[in-house]
Amino acid sequence: MARSIKKGFFVDPSLMAKIEKAAKASSRKPIQTWSRRSTITPDFVGHTFNVHNGKAFVAVYVTENMVGHKLGEFSPTRIFKAHGGMTRKEL
Amino acid sequence: MPRLLGVDIPPKKKIAISLRYIYGLGPTRADLVVKEAGLDPNMRAADLTEEHLNKLQHVITDRKWVVEGDLRRDIAANLKRLQAINCYRGIRHRKGLPVRGQRTSTNARTRKGPRKTVGVTKVKAEPTTV
Repeated sequence: MARSIKKGFFVDPSLMAKIEKAAKASSRKPIQTWSRRSTITPDFVGHTFNVHNGKAFVAVYVTENMVGHKLGEFSPTRIFKAHGGMTRKEL
Repeated sequence: MPRLLGVDIPPKKKIAISLRYIYGLGPTRADLVVKEAGLDPNMRAADLTEEHLNKLQHVITDRKWVVEGDLRRDIAANLKRLQAINCYRGIRHRKGLPVRGQRTSTNARTRKGPRKTVGVTKVKAEPTTV
């Protein structure tokens, strides 16, 4: 079920503070965060975020049409290494 | 054969049923259209006059329903957006895997298509023709 509009977007307060700080300093340095659950709001646009995926930080440059998604959606937590491929090696 | 909204040619079924051949009209909307146009629900599509067709079309356009080509385009645009921003759902669409967190160890055949055996396949000795 979707989140109630009344409550607005959820953004981790700690992350919000970082963004405000970056905006004030108008710095374009990547913002490191573990807060995958934060929704991307219009304030995020133009910043680069290093989003933790459980192991490493994935750089995510936020553009306008990412608004409304969560940061975690852009930082995959699983890697799929392909099956098979033995035949090609032997050829 | 009656034509409605460009391409659709629903044949000799009852109107509510034949309206469902229009992309974007399902059972609910089709019934509603018939009711609103004030047509006899037992009528067959073949018996529709020009006037009836106009009436039906008006009901559909007045409702501002997105149907047929526009709807298909909207859906394609949505998928494209998801894939362009490289989010999880976009990636799943690109790979043709289920998007909404279903299991893929087994099942998921609708998205994955027919089973294809993977694993170590032995290469037949290449015929040396030199």
